[in-house]
Amino acid sequence: MIMKNVLVVDDDMTFVAAIKATLDPNEYTVQSAGNGLEALESLKELKPDLILLDIMMPKMDGIEFLKEMNKQYGEGKTPVLITSNVSSLEKIGEGIALGIRGYFVKSNESLQGIAGIIAGVFEKQK
Amino acid sequence: MITIVSIVIACVAIAVSVYLAVKDFQAKAVLEKREKDVSRRMYELAILKELGDRIGYSLNVQQIIDIITNSLHQFIEYSAVSYMLLEPEKVIFKMHLENSVHRRFVNDVRDRMLGSLGALLDREFDKKNVEEILSGAIIIEELEEPVRSFFNIPLVIDEKVVGVLTVADTKEGLYKEEEMTILYKIIQQASKAVTSLQGVVKTEQEKVNAMVESMEDGVVMTDADYRILVINPAAKRVIGQEKKPEITIFDFIDNLGGKMDVRGRLEESVKLKKTYVSERFEMRGKFYQSFVFPVKTTASLNAGEVLGGVVIFHDVTREVELERVRDDFTSMIVHELRTPLSGIQKASELLKLPPKKVKVGTKQYIDIIYQNSSSMLDLVNDILDAAKLQAGKFEISSEPADIKEVLENRFSFFNISSTDKKIRLIVSASENVPKDVPFDIQRIKQVLNNLISNALKFTAQGGTITVSAFLHESGVSVAKEVTKASLTLPEPFPEEQFSTLPKSVVVIVADTGMGISAQNIPLLFSKFKQIDNKTVVPNIKGTGLGLAIARGIIGEHGGIVDVVSKVDVGSAFYFTLPITKSESVTS
Repeated sequence: MIMKNVLVVDDDMTFVAAIKATLDPNEYTVQSAGNGLEALESLKELKPDLILLDIMMPKMDGIEFLKEMNKQYGEGKTPVLITSNVSSLEKIGEGIALGIRGYFVKSNESLQGIAGIIAGVFEKQK
Repeated sequence: MITIVSIVIACVAIAVSVYLAVKDFQAKAVLEKREKDVSRRMYELAILKELGDRIGYSLNVQQIIDIITNSLHQFIEYSAVSYMLLEPEKVIFKMHLENSVHRRFVNDVRDRMLGSLGALLDREFDKKNVEEILSGAIIIEELEEPVRSFFNIPLVIDEKVVGVLTVADTKEGLYKEEEMTILYKIIQQASKAVTSLQGVVKTEQEKVNAMVESMEDGVVMTDADYRILVINPAAKRVIGQEKKPEITIFDFIDNLGGKMDVRGRLEESVKLKKTYVSERFEMRGKFYQSFVFPVKTTASLNAGEVLGGVVIFHDVTREVELERVRDDFTSMIVHELRTPLSGIQKASELLKLPPKKVKVGTKQYIDIIYQNSSSMLDLVNDILDAAKLQAGKFEISSEPADIKEVLENRFSFFNISSTDKKIRLIVSASENVPKDVPFDIQRIKQVLNNLISNALKFTAQGGTITVSAFLHESGVSVAKEVTKASLTLPEPFPEEQFSTLPKSVVVIVADTGMGISAQNIPLLFSKFKQIDNKTVVPNIKGTGLGLAIARGIIGEHGGIVDVVSKVDVGSAFYFTLPITKSESVTS
């Protein structure tokens, strides 16, 4: 089985730890970045298959990161799921315009639910 | 001889009688003249009185001229009396015929009047724009009598020619100086009365105009044909036509686009007497709500008759902004509450897994739950405090205490985290700070927590945070006191701020952080306007409530909170606690 590379871009360390603990280490490698800038810097090296992206982050927020990533690597190349506690439609709309694959509100989903969503993204890709 | 004598006597008698007769005749003439003068004066007075009475209720020039022309025949002989009045789009020509005349007579008088009106106003008038009204005797084509006597008097109101009044006759040489003088007088008197009355109205109108002009809401009034009668600068601003001198309803139709059907709404107002209130709409970066009302006359005669419509553009930009701030605040709070909540949820979900599947130690998850629930509790407390402050229900219980002890206590509380972050934390207080300053220990701790934790957030590794206190004596230069306490500040304290303070303890939390730019300082303490995190305070998130609460707490103590800062040098937040009794410090 090919390992899937998941990059969690979030300043919420609890969430990062929870994702790491949830996803099956035989299936996924989970890496993290504390903000958009850090994530952007690590993209080349990590080559993620999926990005879980928070919106409200210091230094560079999720939307800015998306814009930058699209500029540098082209839109929609790497699937992105917006994972935020912001449920503002405006932000999510912006993300959709920038080619995200989907979104969920962190506090509304259980870890198993999130694992299911992630598996679903890879399922569709087949 | 006798005959000669009698002839002489007769001659003398004749001469005497002739003389007497002549004398009598002369006396009669004088008398008659006097009588005529008196009657003329009487007439003059009568007409002036009548005018005065009528003008009392009317400013209508035409009505006044009608009064004059209707009574003029008692005094002056004429075939026709007529007047011309200037209207915005036409010239009213009204002629009253005492005797029947030929049509050419009418035309001749009309042309002469139009000519003299043109000469007076130095402009050309087209015959087509003359609205003719004939009254009195009929036109008889057989009467080929031309105009032989003619006299024109300009009608002047408020130094402006508004028309001409003319008497004309088929007889020759009728109008002499005498008649004309009195006619002048009458006209002059009437014009004076109207002018002064108009002056009063104008003053009143100017007041109303000034009010309308200075209103922040746009006001437009139109007549029943949607011609704009009144428009204020604010209304011009709504459609971005501040500079255009003549605004028509089409400017509104064009510029409002589909945002508001101004013409349709006015029509509903004028024709159906309907009032309309619009939804909010955006125009050139501002938000408006518009109202359309019919304008009804209140004059008793035709009360309720619709004269036109009024459109008011109420600027709701501030309300919209406030709502947006409120919405932002709400979504920020929701976000800040959800983050620890989802942390707790995720950690407990992991704890629920069968023990062998829990990869990291259980303690780590319990720590996460503890930290997240604590930060949530802090947030809830902050929200409560902010709500209390806003409602004015924030209370403190002051009792004399030693501020130095509180500072030292905070030092031991923060020393661990500052050591972790490799930031030096120093606490010092001047010797002269009294040990019995009245304050609320818990609340002042809260303020210090906020200021010190902020300083920790904004100071990089290797930096220093200095918490100090000194005594400020009323009326003493604070710069001297700062030097005496050997304190270093990124910027000096504002002297004028301290000059009005009573004797107080000044507590400072100074850092060597990034500093705050001058334009952002005023935003710091406001509850909703948190500084834009991305540009000013990278790395930092939060509700932005802390400083607003600190200001509230210190305000309750009768002190002030403020900051001096220099970008890239650091910030020094300070607050004062008055020692001398002030209003808010009892006991």
